[in-house]
Parts: sequence; structure tokens; C-alpha cells
Amino acid sequence: MPLLKAEGVTAGYGDMEILHEVDLEVEAGEIVSLIGPNGAGKSTLMKTIFGLLHPKSGSITYRDKPIHGRKPHEIVTLGLCYVPQVANVFVTLTVEENLDMGAYLLDEREIPPRRERVYELFPRLRERRRQRAGKMSGGERQMVAMGSALMLEPDLLLLDEPSAGLSPKLVDEIFDNIRRINAAGLAVLMVEQNARKSLQMANRGYVLANGENRYDGTGQELLADPDVARLYLGG
Amino acid sequence: MSQLIFLKGLMLGIALACILPILLPPGSRWRVPGGIVLGLAAGLGIAASVPSGYLSYFIGFMTMASLYAILSLGLNTQWGYTGHLNFGVAGFFAVGAFTSALFTIEAPTGLAAQYTQVLFGLEMPFLVGVLAAAVVSALVAFVVAVPVLRLRLDFLAIATIGVAEIIRLIFQNERWLANGPQPLRGIPQPGRCLFESRHCEWLPESLAWLIEPLGTRDYTAFYLMVVAAFLALIYVVLERTCRSPWGRMLRAVRDEESSAAMNGKNVTFARVQAFVVGAVVMGIAGALYAHYTVAIDYSHFHALFGTFLVWIMLMLGGSGNHRGAILGAILVWGVWAGTAFLANALEPLLALIHEDLPGRAQYIRWLLVSLLLAAVVLFRPQGLLPEEMRVSNHLRGDGR
Amino acid sequence: MAVSETRKPGEGLPADERRRGERLRAFIRTRGFLVGTFVVILIAMYVAGLIAGASAQRLLALTAWGLMLGGIIALGSIGLSLVYGVLKFPNFSHGALVTLGAYVAYTVVPLLPQGEALRPLSFGYEFLVALVVAMPVVGAVAVAIDRLVYRRLRNTGAHLVLFAMASLAMAFFVRSMIYLIWGPDFHFYYPGRANPALYLPFGMRVRADQLFILVLAFVLVAAVYVLLEWTRMGKAMRATADNPHLAQIRGINTERVISWTWMLGGGLAAAGGIMYGLSSQLRPEMGFWLLLPMFAATIMGGIGNPYGALSAALIIGIAHQVSTSFLDPTYGPAVAFVLMVLTLLIRPQGLLGRTEG
Repeated sequence: MPLLKAEGVTAGYGDMEILHEVDLEVEAGEIVSLIGPNGAGKSTLMKTIFGLLHPKSGSITYRDKPIHGRKPHEIVTLGLCYVPQVANVFVTLTVEENLDMGAYLLDEREIPPRRERVYELFPRLRERRRQRAGKMSGGERQMVAMGSALMLEPDLLLLDEPSAGLSPKLVDEIFDNIRRINAAGLAVLMVEQNARKSLQMANRGYVLANGENRYDGTGQELLADPDVARLYLGG
Repeated sequence: MSQLIFLKGLMLGIALACILPILLPPGSRWRVPGGIVLGLAAGLGIAASVPSGYLSYFIGFMTMASLYAILSLGLNTQWGYTGHLNFGVAGFFAVGAFTSALFTIEAPTGLAAQYTQVLFGLEMPFLVGVLAAAVVSALVAFVVAVPVLRLRLDFLAIATIGVAEIIRLIFQNERWLANGPQPLRGIPQPGRCLFESRHCEWLPESLAWLIEPLGTRDYTAFYLMVVAAFLALIYVVLERTCRSPWGRMLRAVRDEESSAAMNGKNVTFARVQAFVVGAVVMGIAGALYAHYTVAIDYSHFHALFGTFLVWIMLMLGGSGNHRGAILGAILVWGVWAGTAFLANALEPLLALIHEDLPGRAQYIRWLLVSLLLAAVVLFRPQGLLPEEMRVSNHLRGDGR
Repeated sequence: MAVSETRKPGEGLPADERRRGERLRAFIRTRGFLVGTFVVILIAMYVAGLIAGASAQRLLALTAWGLMLGGIIALGSIGLSLVYGVLKFPNFSHGALVTLGAYVAYTVVPLLPQGEALRPLSFGYEFLVALVVAMPVVGAVAVAIDRLVYRRLRNTGAHLVLFAMASLAMAFFVRSMIYLIWGPDFHFYYPGRANPALYLPFGMRVRADQLFILVLAFVLVAAVYVLLEWTRMGKAMRATADNPHLAQIRGINTERVISWTWMLGGGLAAAGGIMYGLSSQLRPEMGFWLLLPMFAATIMGGIGNPYGALSAALIIGIAHQVSTSFLDPTYGPAVAFVLMVLTLLIRPQGLLGRTEG
């Protein structure tokens, strides 16, 4: 049974349709990479899964429970968390407060041990826990954003371009972190413009173009496919 | 039809002939001639068929509605066409009213000077007073605009409320300026002499018989004609300017401010100009109001009457549409006047609830108009007549 | 987040001159410059007072009264600031909520058994009970208005302008209800009861009630501080003010947060109104009179920042009172207005407003 299943999802903003009958599945514990050119609808698909947009048709189920049409604060209780591409931390709150907000739904007593686990994953956040997130560098903010999403200890993490705008060294660090998070048993669905790198790490991948499914397969298959390489991986 | 009724009907007819062509839907060749004929016929017909008590009520109603229509046009220039959130309409209204009053009244002397203090009383003709009101409103608006228009939309709203409040405080406190908290009385009315027993000097003796039957009570119909003429004139001028390149630039500035800036147009200056033009129109409305009521004081320029009602009129009529602004003014003034009857009718019912309530029935009118604005905002933010050329960004449902 | 540089004023000037201009502009935008401006204005006001013939003792007394007035303004503006920060629109009906609070307490006081006045204060226990009752009542009214009006606008994603307009409508709605229920006359909580002044050092004479108002303002600001910094709801309010979208993603029910914000804002408005009514009298227009000083304090302090609102309110209160030594007292709102416009021109984010985000 797939963890997350999207079938025939059509969605967009207002009258503008961006996704046309897109299908996607994520199994428990795997990394799935979503790639494709700009404007292919990758971020729109993420937002639709997370209830920020409501699909016009099609269904989205999580653990066989339909989640389309639900609000984000309801979806988050089911065990999937989302890290948006931009504005993904509360800039006026401290690092620790940001993490606490990630666990807003939980009982207060459950927060400190979980915070500890996030600090173990990202030791730099512990050093800076009293600092306001707005004063941190891009890479650190990305850690705060992922850390707050992990506070609920979800089964599936949706990452929207986690490496956007970061230096190559930081990109490697972020990918390392994703691998470590995944090793702990979390499924990850990520949108990446660093397509080659993300496919190398991913169990499976989907190629989206013009709001439609184009290719899918294991990471290795997609990397080996000459069409995918020529069209979407930059040769 | 007696000569008196004919004359009254003619004056009312001319007033309606000024207003009706504006309200008829544009595009038709017959809009202007049809409106004029219809207006004249309606004026004569109403004067002939309606008892004089109701007739003078109707004339008073139309005068206030037309005054508010002018205010509403001024606000439309600022908000509908340029996107300035001016919550201080009452301030410019007051400046216009007091300016015109000071330019036209006779400075009190002797014993009267102890009761009425004014900065000056120039005894100028009515039109000079109106012109002065326009100029002074423009100056005040310019002084306000330069620091304030750079602000964010919400700050502008707060700041303009403050400006209106300060203007009101000045007219309330400064006795030397315009008789402080006491009413400023004796504001002359244009053409009043025609209606008083000694006829105007400029009127040839041979024509005096024409207006012989008119008495002072009939003056209101003449003044309605004056206000309606101003309304029509201001409408035509604003309609022309808003369709000119200048008006198109204003809308461009409002909707996509940055791109207009990149086109090299002087955005700030255009915004200031629009604010000043709107304030000038409001100032003229103030002047016309002062000469209508003859006596004014600071309490006339309360935020409810000077600002709130005008906003309801524009919102209901349709921001960015001059016809809508005028239609909204007439409708809302109708509602406001109608609620007075409603409040009266409710008095016995209110007396059953509590003995103090009938005396407070007038506040039911406030209640109803505030609900009207809330309803417009919630259910029809674009107003009755939507913007003619382009829907304002601020009123679209998804505007963010 | 990088500051966008779409326009570069002074393009074409020699480089060093331009740099000097930019440095000057940057200096003007600092917190220090804003504080300096306020200090200079206050000093100028004292000098103007002395020139107008007020004694030093009188100016000192005016300063003390200014602090008390600042306390009243602060109570009102903290709520206004919170609502502005979380909901992002200027609530023009806040003044009406202030008035409503005063009148609700006015209705509650006679319903309670009348105790002795808590000397040297002018009121008894029943007044404190009325305060505690009126705060949640007004808070509930604010929540109800939100449900009926503002929530609908939120659901359609309406522009700020429509929120402002709706709040103007609600201001007149609440005010007309007050007129209908309580009438246009003046009222006192305790008509005819004296509240003799206390004699403090330097010949200052301050009524005990005024000290109570100032203390209450500080206590409530401290309570708001504790709430915002240490409680979950408080943190959720800050998070929602910061980034409502992300707050939803993190599982925060922002509608609930907004309701609590209105509850808090309405409650504090009520406290402000009751204290204002205690220090002078109850009038249906009292809240409108406070509206301008409250907005001034909110903007001067930095929108959404309650401590900023408190400090700005105290500055406004002092400036207001000291200005009466050389200006007609009814010009008080104008003094607040001038300080507000200066803030907007110098440093729009206010005294304690944050620069990033």
C-alpha cells in the first residue's frame, strides 16, 4: 500500500489550470524526486497535496484516507509535513520558538525530547537556539525549516527545492541531511532543480512537464534514460 | 399653470436637466438631449402636481444629494482613479466651506463684532468665494500630500483621519479665524436679491415682471439649480480629464506603480496632482454647502457626515466610475433621508422597549447606514456600476 | 532577506557625494535618530511651556499627568497593535470598543453590592469586578464582529482596503449601538465622589486613581509580555503575525489564533476605556477622541509590538500634557498626530519595529 497516492489530479490558480491529471505515488520509507523544467507544475503539485490548493478533480489519499479538500492544519495531523521553498521560517521568532511552532499540535511535554533529536541532527541549531531566524544564513534557515517540519516526526516529508539559492558546499550538506532523515525511516518527496543529484539519491523519480506526467521510474533508470538526460538533466 | 408654479417648475427642471443626462447610460446619441428634455418635463410636471410642502422637501433633498454627489466625485478622483485611501474628506469639505464663507461675508462691526469674530470678511461675490475655496483646498491638500502620500495605503488612511480631525479642531478652537465654536452666520446667497422684494440692481426693470411672484421661500429651487449646474460642470471636467492621457497615467500608476515608474513618468507628482484635484472638488462642495445653509460651524464637518457617508456613496455607486459616484450619492442620501421617516415611525415601538429610546431614534439611522456599508463591502465591493475601463485592483476578490 | 534596490535616488551624482547621501539617509532611519527626535521635541515643548509662562513645578506636574494619560493610551493601543500585527489591517473600530468597555463597566457597577471606596482610590471592589467582567464581554463582541464580517473577507482573500472600510462601518455600528443603549449624555462611575489629590515630593499633586491607571497599564503590558513570550497561544500569535501561511503549514489553526487576538485586543481596549472613563467621564465619543493617539502609539512603537506601544504611549501622553502649557488642550490629538507623521517619515517601522521580514 503506498503511503501517498495522487490520481488524476487537476489543479491550478483560479481559472488557470496548471496540473492536468497527474499521478504520483510515494511508498513508506523511500525518497521520491520530482523533476522537470520551470513551470512544469512541481511546486503546484506539492501545494495541492498539502491542501494549500484544492484540486478541481482527481483524488489524493494518504494511508488510503482522502486528504484533498482538507485544510493544511488538518493534513499536518495525519503525519505529513511540508517545507515550502521560500518564507519557510518565522523570521521574528527564535530558532527554538520556530521548532516549538513545528510541534504546535503536540502536548507541551512532548516537545523537549523531540527538540533534542532535532538538535542532534542539526547541532548548529543548538548553538543558535536563542537567535532570531531572520538573522541567520540561507543554509541555517533551511535547517530551521526542516527541523521544524521534523518536530512532528512525520512519516512523509515534502521538500520544495531545499537547495535553492545555496552554495554547492551547502547543497551537499542539505542532501546529506536528507539522506540521514530518510535513513531514520522517513519517506521524502522532494522537488529539486538539482535534478541529477537528487535522482542519484532517490529511490524513484517523476518527470513532470507542462503539468503532465512525462516519465517515471527508479532513480537509476531515469538517469540512464537518454531522453531524460538530454531534455531534463542538461545533457 | 400659474406663473409661480411655472417658474418653480422651470428652475427645478433646469436642475434635473443638469443631473439626468449624467445618470442615463452612456453610449446613446440621445443621452444628453433626452436627459435635458426629460429633466425639464419632470421639473415642470413635479411642480405642477406636487403640493408645495412636498415640493420644497424634494428640492432640499436634491440639493443635499447633489452636494454629496460633488463630494463623491472628488473622492472618486482620489480613490477610484488613483487609489488614495482618504478617510479625511470632511477636512477638505470644511476648508472649502469656511474659506468661501470668509471671502463672501460682511465683516461684523460695532456690537456684532463682539459676538462674531472673523479673520476677515471680504464681501466678494459668490463665484469668487467658490474659487477661493478651491484654491485654499488645493493649498491644504498640497501641504498634506507632500509628506503623507509617500506612505503605505493603510498609513495614509490613518493620517488623513488625523488631518481632518486637526482641521476640525482648528475651526472649533480658533475664535479669531471663523468665530470658533460659535456658528458663523450670515453667509450670503447668490442671486438671493431676485427673491426679495427689492429686485437686483443688474436686472433690467422691464424684466422684473417675469419673476414678480417669486418670494424668498422659493429661493431653494434657484440654489438647487446652481448646485446642479456645478455638479454637471465638475462631472464633465473630471470625465474629460480622466479620459485624457493624464487620467490614463493615473490608472497606470494605481494599478502597476512600478512599471509606470519605469516608463519614466513622474509617479509622485501624478499622485499629488490627483490628490489635489480631488480636494479641490471637495472644497467646492464645501463652498456650495456653506452658501446653502447660511450658517456653519465645526460640528457640521463631523466624520459621519463629511467622510463616512461619502465613502458609502462611492462604494455603493462604484469606485472608479463617475456616474456611479453620483448615483451612489443620490441613493445613499435617499436612504439617509428615508431612515429619518423610519426612525419617526419606529418611535412608538421604541417607546414600548424603553422610555428613553424614542429620543435616540436618530441613532438608528447611523446603525442602518453602517450596516449598509458593511453589506456593500461584504457582498458587492465593486459597487452598483463597476469601473468603466478597468476594475480597481483593490476591489477584486483575489487582489492581494 | 535582501533589501530590494529598484530605485537609486541621486543617480548621476559623483560617487562619494552619493555615498554620503546614502549614509545620511541610513542614519536618519536608525532607532537612535528617531529617539533623538522625540527627545528634542519634548525639550522644545518644555522650553515653549516656560516661555509661555508655566512654572517648572507646573511642567513637572504636567509630566506626571502625561504619564497617567500615557497609561490610558497604552491600554488601548496594545490591543490595537496586536490586532494590526496579526490581521494586518488598521482597525478603525478600536475606538468604539474602548467606549463600549467603559459603558459595559458603567452598567455592571450598579448591579453589584456597593462597597466602601478603597481609599485613597475613589472606587470600591465592585469597580474592579466590573473591570474584570467588561474585558471579556468586549473581547467577545470583537470576536463576534470578526466572525460576522472580517472572517468572510479573509475567506475571499479581500484586499486590506476592504478590511479598513469594514472596520470603519463597524466603528459607526458600535458607536450607534452605544448611543441607542446609553444615550448621548455624560456619565460618571461615581457621580459626585471626590478623589482628592495626593501630595508627592516636589509639590506634585496626583490623584490616587491616576496612579492606579498607570500601574494597571504596566501590569497588563507585563501580562501581555508573558503571554506572547512564554505561552503557546502567544507564540502562535507571533507566528501568525510573522507568516500566516507558514503558521497554517505548521498545523496552527490560524482562525483560532485570530479569535484569541480579538479577545485580547477587545479586552485591553475595554480596560483602556474604563480607565479613561474613571479619569474623566463617559461620553459616546470618548473612543473616537482616543483613536488618533492610539494609532500614533501603535505606529510609533512598531506595529504588533506591545512594549513599543507602551513606550510610545507614554511619550505621547507626556507630549500631550506638556503641550497644554502653551496650546489649547483640545489640540491633544494633533500633538499625537504630528509625532506619528514624524515617525512614518523617519522610520516607518517605529521605535521597536523589526527591520527584517
